[in-house]
Amino acid sequence: MRYGHFLARDGAVIDEIMAVYMPEGRSYTGHDQVEIYCHGGRQVAKMIQDELVAAGARVAEPGEFTRLAFLAGRIDLTRAEAVAEVIESNTDTSFRAARDHLLGGYHNHISQLREALIDIIAEVEASVDYPEEDIDPENRFGLLAQLDVIIANVNELVDTYRGGRIINEGFRIVIGGRPNAGKSSLFNLLLRQERALVTPTPGTTRDYLSEWIELDGFKVNLIDTAGLRQTGGAVEKAGQKSARQILKGANLVIWMVDTTKKSWKRDLGYDLKSLGDTPTMLIGNKIDLLSGAGLKRVKASDAKLIPLSCLTGKGVADLKRAVGSRITDNMPDLTSGVVVTSARHQQKLSKALRSLKAARVKLKKDETPELTAFDLRQAVASIDEITGKIYTEEILGRIFSRFCIGK
Amino acid sequence: MMTYDYDVIVVGGGHAGVEAALAVARMGKTAAIVTMEASKLALMSCNPAIGGIGKSHLVKEIDALGGLMGEAIDATGIQFRRLNLSRGPAVWSTRVQADRIKYNEYVVRFVAAQKNVDVIEGLAGQILADNGRVCGMKTEAGRSVTSRAVIIASGTFLGGLIHIGDKKIRAGRMGEPAAYMLSESLAELGFEIGRLKTGTPPRLDGDTIDWSKCEVQPGEQPLPLFSHRSVREPFEQTPCHLTYTTEATRAIISANFKASPIFSGQIKSTGPRYCPSIEDKFFRFADKPRHQVFLEPEGNGTNEIYPNGFSTALPEKIQYQAVRTLTGLENVRPTRPGYAIEYDYCPAFQVMPSLETRRIKGLFFAGQINGTSGYEEAAGQGLMAGINAVLGIEGEPPFVLDRSEAYIGVMIDDLTTRSTTEPYRLFTSRAEYRLALREDNARDRLYGYAKEHKLIDDNDFVSFVSLQEKTLQEINLLRRKRVRVSEIGKLGDRFQKRESISLEDLLKQPGVTIGDALPILARFDGEFSVDREVLERAAIFIRYRGYVEKQQREIDKFKRMENEKIPEDFDFTAVKGLKQEAFDKFQCFRPVSLGQAGRIEGVTPGDIAVLSVYLKKHKG
Ligand SMILES: Cc1cc2nc3c(=O)[nH]c(=O)nc-3n(C[C@H](O)[C@H](O)[C@H](O)COP(=O)(O)OP(=O)(O)OC[C@H]3O[C@@H](n4cnc5c(N)ncnc54)[C@H](O)[C@@H]3O)c2cc1C
Ligand SMILES: Nc1nc2c(ncn2[C@@H]2O[C@H](COP(=O)(O)OP(=O)(O)OP(=O)(O)O)[C@@H](O)[C@H]2O)c(=O)[nH]1
Ligand SMILES: [Mg+2]
Repeated sequence: MRYGHFLARDGAVIDEIMAVYMPEGRSYTGHDQVEIYCHGGRQVAKMIQDELVAAGARVAEPGEFTRLAFLAGRIDLTRAEAVAEVIESNTDTSFRAARDHLLGGYHNHISQLREALIDIIAEVEASVDYPEEDIDPENRFGLLAQLDVIIANVNELVDTYRGGRIINEGFRIVIGGRPNAGKSSLFNLLLRQERALVTPTPGTTRDYLSEWIELDGFKVNLIDTAGLRQTGGAVEKAGQKSARQILKGANLVIWMVDTTKKSWKRDLGYDLKSLGDTPTMLIGNKIDLLSGAGLKRVKASDAKLIPLSCLTGKGVADLKRAVGSRITDNMPDLTSGVVVTSARHQQKLSKALRSLKAARVKLKKDETPELTAFDLRQAVASIDEITGKIYTEEILGRIFSRFCIGK
Repeated sequence: MMTYDYDVIVVGGGHAGVEAALAVARMGKTAAIVTMEASKLALMSCNPAIGGIGKSHLVKEIDALGGLMGEAIDATGIQFRRLNLSRGPAVWSTRVQADRIKYNEYVVRFVAAQKNVDVIEGLAGQILADNGRVCGMKTEAGRSVTSRAVIIASGTFLGGLIHIGDKKIRAGRMGEPAAYMLSESLAELGFEIGRLKTGTPPRLDGDTIDWSKCEVQPGEQPLPLFSHRSVREPFEQTPCHLTYTTEATRAIISANFKASPIFSGQIKSTGPRYCPSIEDKFFRFADKPRHQVFLEPEGNGTNEIYPNGFSTALPEKIQYQAVRTLTGLENVRPTRPGYAIEYDYCPAFQVMPSLETRRIKGLFFAGQINGTSGYEEAAGQGLMAGINAVLGIEGEPPFVLDRSEAYIGVMIDDLTTRSTTEPYRLFTSRAEYRLALREDNARDRLYGYAKEHKLIDDNDFVSFVSLQEKTLQEINLLRRKRVRVSEIGKLGDRFQKRESISLEDLLKQPGVTIGDALPILARFDGEFSVDREVLERAAIFIRYRGYVEKQQREIDKFKRMENEKIPEDFDFTAVKGLKQEAFDKFQCFRPVSLGQAGRIEGVTPGDIAVLSVYLKKHKG
């Protein structure tokens, strides 16, 4: 680490700096690298950067350092992907999950599973390559139990993707309801911006609108849809069709009810059926127009509506709190740091899971260890596609350290 | 133009050397085996047996490529059996106990009768090379013999040093001189030389063993022969026996750890983990109550017994004390002591996949010198080196088997992409495509190559093709013909939900044997082949078809990477972005393809990506 001054081309001092030189093989990327520490403020950093570019340097592309680090073997695939996620993530929670990836929690967990798997493979292989050794052949039940633990673990990991995907892609909330219920009004309110057109005419919103907001530290994808009803013109119908589809893909539906309409209860019963089992939250809107008795009736109703007025903002805090806890309920436990957030990992882990289950059937019968080993190795190969490794020598090493083998 | 005494000189008449010379002769070239004693061709230094897990696959492959080992052991075996029969046929492994002397005599006779091969007695001391090209060798006594190619197959003899307790003896095998000058000559030519260790147990007088206290291990009938060329009448097989160490054994050995050169620091090189000495076993697995020891006959004309599992380098007196604590061996009379031996080898990054050295053109290494251990491993390499020596002379590209084709390919690829940390032995678990590399299909895999290189008789090839056709017909028939589940007795229990099944479905079931199927096939009035071999081949094929097809995509991917060739003179310094470790490894192992580069230890997928991008950019 050196201390000195950064000079511009014309010799003027830009800043007082410290600099570190990291020779090849010792830096994050594995390449020759210099890091310059300057005083805070974008301006100074920008000037230094301009000077360096003028002298022939190039500004790195997004993720280039990480790519170099991966190519140099400094980090494995999961970590490289995690760095990419940190760069891309823009809210608190996803940052935390990404950071935990980066710190290797996830990586360690996968490595441990892989290690446990290799232990089993070593036993199975030993029984193939050393049929004459007196290594306890009735070890099968122990192995089966070990395999079950691994299967349960991978299963759990695969399941975290439901939450992991939310972390990565955002929690998708779709606002639905009959025309004129106030959906677009709520959309704008949560967005704190007049994004959607709001008019007293039913059928205003024809297509859907999608925006990103942050709610309780979670990244939320908020979608406003066309109101659903039986009548309407061709364009409106098309809008309704897509609205139905979007509603199905929601992590949570906020269903708006216009409580000033006499028929709301009957309509709601009908609408809920069509929503099926998508998680839904019911909002009773426009309570500012209700009489005290009317409001009481809404609150007492079995439908458990959350009373709200988009006009006055009354009930918004309750609504946000309720949504927040629904998101949390859907979220995996982030403290352990093991959440699958990438579709690629999810795919590989599911593939591994299938191989593991196939292996289990064979292990239980214990007739064909060479086929059990085949499936187990396929499972490791799938896991290795996440972290990138080769393992025959490892298996042999394991065999020799565990068993007294050989003549 | 220079004339040569021989096309190929083979230094060392061990298992590697013999196969090498015979392959050269079969391909129509002349060979001389230069070896210390002509009467000791293919002598078994250690264990009197051929085959066993993984190794038997090698023998089948050697046989399919026209090699001698299978025939020789078929003719001189005294006990035949197959290991792993309770598991699937992909890992069945034939193991044959040899009459050690008869085996050696058989090979001596065979070589004597082979046209184009001479045996020259002498101790090779120097490799003659000119301008980076080999041109012959000179014996320690000063006799020069010239040739276009030289194959070194010197086994454990290079710089051999025997240890028994603190006693050290310069020898290549007990009672035989070591080859020191040859080692020096190789070092002078610039080869890097390393050191490895192996060991052998004491031998025992079988007449002094109480056999009634040991478990009998009988042989198998009909004889599982290695070679389809072999014919052997049934005979009374000599059994092996199994016994165990006792508490007393542990007491003696544990009290004497310090007396073993393995622990005293006298031996610095590493021995094989899979073949530990008995002192090593007690040391590393202190809580294992007893260790098994197989008592194997060395032949029919001798009482000598080989106690497999009791390799040791302890002082003679302690060895003998310890061996008398084994069950049934209380009064045994040892005939020869066990010992450890250290020897020189040339780390195999110095050879190409053809086994030709990078440094000297026309010079090949085969067998123990490449860091392997075992007769079968040696023979497989010898055969390949012999073939490639001839191809080299003829200016043809080398014959290299890949990992998806043969255990020979797995072995040589392992040798040329990994650094040796112990003597290398084959295991089936080393083969990622194990289910496709079986004993039963060695000829399917290799006969085409054998014919191409004229290693086998044309008639053999023709009759094999007809066997293949019959097998195929049988496979198709088994798929078409169906039986009612209710009509196949207990076998039907596995298919309770179905009314009828194809015979293919039936045979696919683990645990269903050919024997189970025969009475069912007999119901189809002679439609199925009566040839048991055809049926067996078909059944095994069916058993693994699904898995092999599943793996085919991986194999295709593997082959694509193997075909991304890296030029022999490729300049790795030109590739920017490789990390230092990968760069060093590439410089050392000089991979011939991207696939091989990726298997080198310490090389990451990232390095391969960098290399691959560079190669693509600079193609042509
Ligand atoms: C003590 C001992 C224990 C072993 N234990 C095992 C074991 O447990 N398991 C196992 O699988 N394998 C074991 N082996 C190894 C096995 O014997 C060898 O791997 C195998 O024989 C190697 O075959 P090869 O053809 O390379 O050499 P070898 O069979 O060793 O043959 C070498 C031949 O070359 C000749 N020769 C050598 N140098 C010269 C020269 N300069 N000039 C002329 N002739 C020369 C020798 O006379 C000999 O005939 C053991 C070997 C020894 C000696
Ligand atoms: N008094 C009152 N009026 C509201 C409230 N929420 C919405 N409105 C009014 O109700 C009308 C419809 O509101 P929108 O937000 O456009 O309703 P929408 O559900 O999006 O309607 P479509 O897009 O036509 O399906 C507008 O005139 C809003 O001003 C509320 O809480 N109180
Ligand atoms: Mg609207």
